[in-house]
Amino acid sequence: METSAPTAETSVWSKEDRKASRKANAKLHRKEYGWAAAFMAAPVIGWVVFLLFPMAFSIYASFTNWNGIGNMTFIGLDNYTRLLQDQYFWKALYNTVFYMIGIPIGLALSLLLALALSRKIRGRTFFRTVYYIPVISSLAAIAILWQWAYNGDFGLVNQALALVGIEGPNWLADPVWAKPAIIIMTVWKGLGYSMLLYLAAVQAVPRSLYEAAALDGANGWKRFTKITWPMVRPVTFFLVVTNIIGGSMIFTEINIMTSTGGPSFSTASLVWYVWNQAFRNLSMGYATAMALVLGILVLIVTAIQFRMNAKNDFSID
Amino acid sequence: MRKNVLAAGAVAMAGALALTACSSGGADEGTVVGDGEGVELTFMYRGSDYDKAAYETAITAFTEETGATVKMIITDADQYSTKLQAAIAGGNVPDVFYVDPANMMGYVYADVLADLTDLVPQETVDNLWSFGVDAYRFNVETGARGQEGDPFYALPKDVGPFAFGYNTVLFDEAGLDYPDPSEPMTFDEFVELCKALTLDTDGDGELDQWGTGLNVTWNSQAFIWGAGADWISDDKKTVTVDTPEFAEALQWFADLGLVEGVTPSVEQAQTLDTYQRWMAGEIGFFPVAPWDIATYNAVAEENPDEFGYAMIPYPVANEGDDWSTWLGSLGIGVSAQSENVELAAKLAEYLSTDLDAQKTLAAGQIQIPNLIDYAEGDWITTDATETGWPENSQIFLDIAMEKGRPLPATYTYTPEWYDNFWIGIENVVDNGSVTAEDFLADKQEEMQKLLDQSWTSAEAAKAQG
Repeated sequence: METSAPTAETSVWSKEDRKASRKANAKLHRKEYGWAAAFMAAPVIGWVVFLLFPMAFSIYASFTNWNGIGNMTFIGLDNYTRLLQDQYFWKALYNTVFYMIGIPIGLALSLLLALALSRKIRGRTFFRTVYYIPVISSLAAIAILWQWAYNGDFGLVNQALALVGIEGPNWLADPVWAKPAIIIMTVWKGLGYSMLLYLAAVQAVPRSLYEAAALDGANGWKRFTKITWPMVRPVTFFLVVTNIIGGSMIFTEINIMTSTGGPSFSTASLVWYVWNQAFRNLSMGYATAMALVLGILVLIVTAIQFRMNAKNDFSID
Repeated sequence: MRKNVLAAGAVAMAGALALTACSSGGADEGTVVGDGEGVELTFMYRGSDYDKAAYETAITAFTEETGATVKMIITDADQYSTKLQAAIAGGNVPDVFYVDPANMMGYVYADVLADLTDLVPQETVDNLWSFGVDAYRFNVETGARGQEGDPFYALPKDVGPFAFGYNTVLFDEAGLDYPDPSEPMTFDEFVELCKALTLDTDGDGELDQWGTGLNVTWNSQAFIWGAGADWISDDKKTVTVDTPEFAEALQWFADLGLVEGVTPSVEQAQTLDTYQRWMAGEIGFFPVAPWDIATYNAVAEENPDEFGYAMIPYPVANEGDDWSTWLGSLGIGVSAQSENVELAAKLAEYLSTDLDAQKTLAAGQIQIPNLIDYAEGDWITTDATETGWPENSQIFLDIAMEKGRPLPATYTYTPEWYDNFWIGIENVVDNGSVTAEDFLADKQEEMQKLLDQSWTSAEAAKAQG
């Protein structure tokens, strides 16, 4: 088969045509590139203005004495040394970490619910809706309702406990029970969201894996631990990471249910304390330092999680 | 493309101009009162429809005199301070705005609040309750607050006298004589009356009526002061909660529930708070403030068999002791950065002292009048009774004039030292696991540290401006 390269004479495009075409193309590309750059600029500018600048600003503010109104004075590490000696910072940090107990409890419950509601049972859609309603409800309204439910005398929680012969504590007024009370509420509030993600993950597990396991004689528990649990692990990882980040920012529930930080400061979360220092005690610089420490702690925990997740990663051949 | 860039630039410029216009009106610098044509001032506040109506009255009079118009910005009460701080940080401070006396020092140091001393006529100041102006007096050099003769940085939106009251129906039912409206009871007499009013009225073995039900955070001040104790020294530099009289008064307050049993239990108070129980005719003694009057009147009219009220002085530890109670205030300040400071000061004066506006607010049972001549004249003799204020409303005027004291943290740079007092207070008053004496011994040191820190922060704010 003979082939020959097109010559200048055989080409249908004259030199001028090609030049004009290149020019037109270049103009078109320039316009397209311009638009592309404009579209890309929007999020980049947004990121710089609303994230990078505030972050850099807050890092600087954390090294200053600043009341949030007047000028800043650079004070080096003073805010950080103050923080180390501030018993209420540590107490608020402890409370915030304590609230994280709710994460594994919530995940276990939501996985159980997802497993139950992935079966073909009557009223499945109804139950899914019921469990999801708290997620879309106003947090402020929920906090007020739970405040009533936790009433020591006639609250729903203690009435329910009384039915089984338990005399419930005065939940929100008792330093021992105030934190568990908040945990129960947050678990209840987050159940629907985690359940929904688990439900999708459970339903996406290939049936063939269960069939093969059944043929090999695996019982229900083995099927769960060897198939379901590993297969939903990416969702578990996602939920753990987002719940820890979200949990570290807990504020609204605390501020509504125990507006002064609870009995003996037992419910004050770190973000609540930061807010109080910034806007009530005019210590914006100090509050920023605390917020940064919290941010760094969350970053470290998340990095550890990512590392552990990468170590345990697997894929199905 | 070029056109788009130009259009975007034009939009940005328009936005910037609009923002600038928001902050300053549009008049040339040096505008004087009476020459406000074309000027628009901004006024940011929080409040009710009555406040709005009253301010509209005052603003109409202000516009008639000066020619300047006013744009009112109303915000939710709980968002007000955050919004104001954001406005300050953004350099977009309203010309006139509400200011809380408890955190005004930071605003003065940062040159946000204008000194009104030379902008408000002396006769206007003389006709206001002294606390209404003293609450905004601040000596920037010494850090002293509330001292007569020092510059002031706001005029009062109101003064809020926090009086004490009793349910007349319960007294009638129990066949008890009403307390003296002019002389305070002693603590012992108060407890005796509370005991007589604490009853199981339906005979089911459970108490359903109590002598009193007072929240320690908001209602204990008058009793502590009535025992000659206080949270802080006169110079606002020393925490004084570790005195024997303080411990005794706090323990007495706690024992009202723990020992005497004349208050609902913590659980009962949570089920239905004592404010609601008071209005339901279950509580004998309870605080009465001007902003409660409209509600109390409505309840008294609806349930005359359960609720009626009258006001009395707060009890004191011993016969002959002087009584006092707390007096709050909210101020109307002027931005030091306003291009029309004089006009803005004039507006603040109208909002604080316009007679028609004051009449609207008093008739709406929102506040007692700010103007002494009106309050002690037409208002107390005729207007108050005609507009539904209780007979012995004179007690509100007494508090505004001489019996009122600011809350302990009002005159310090930050309130953290005082807030700290309430951490763990439930162990003294609710469950009694700690005695007042032990609680206070530990507290003094901690509070003093925070008060010292507050002074250090004030010094730093003063230095950095």
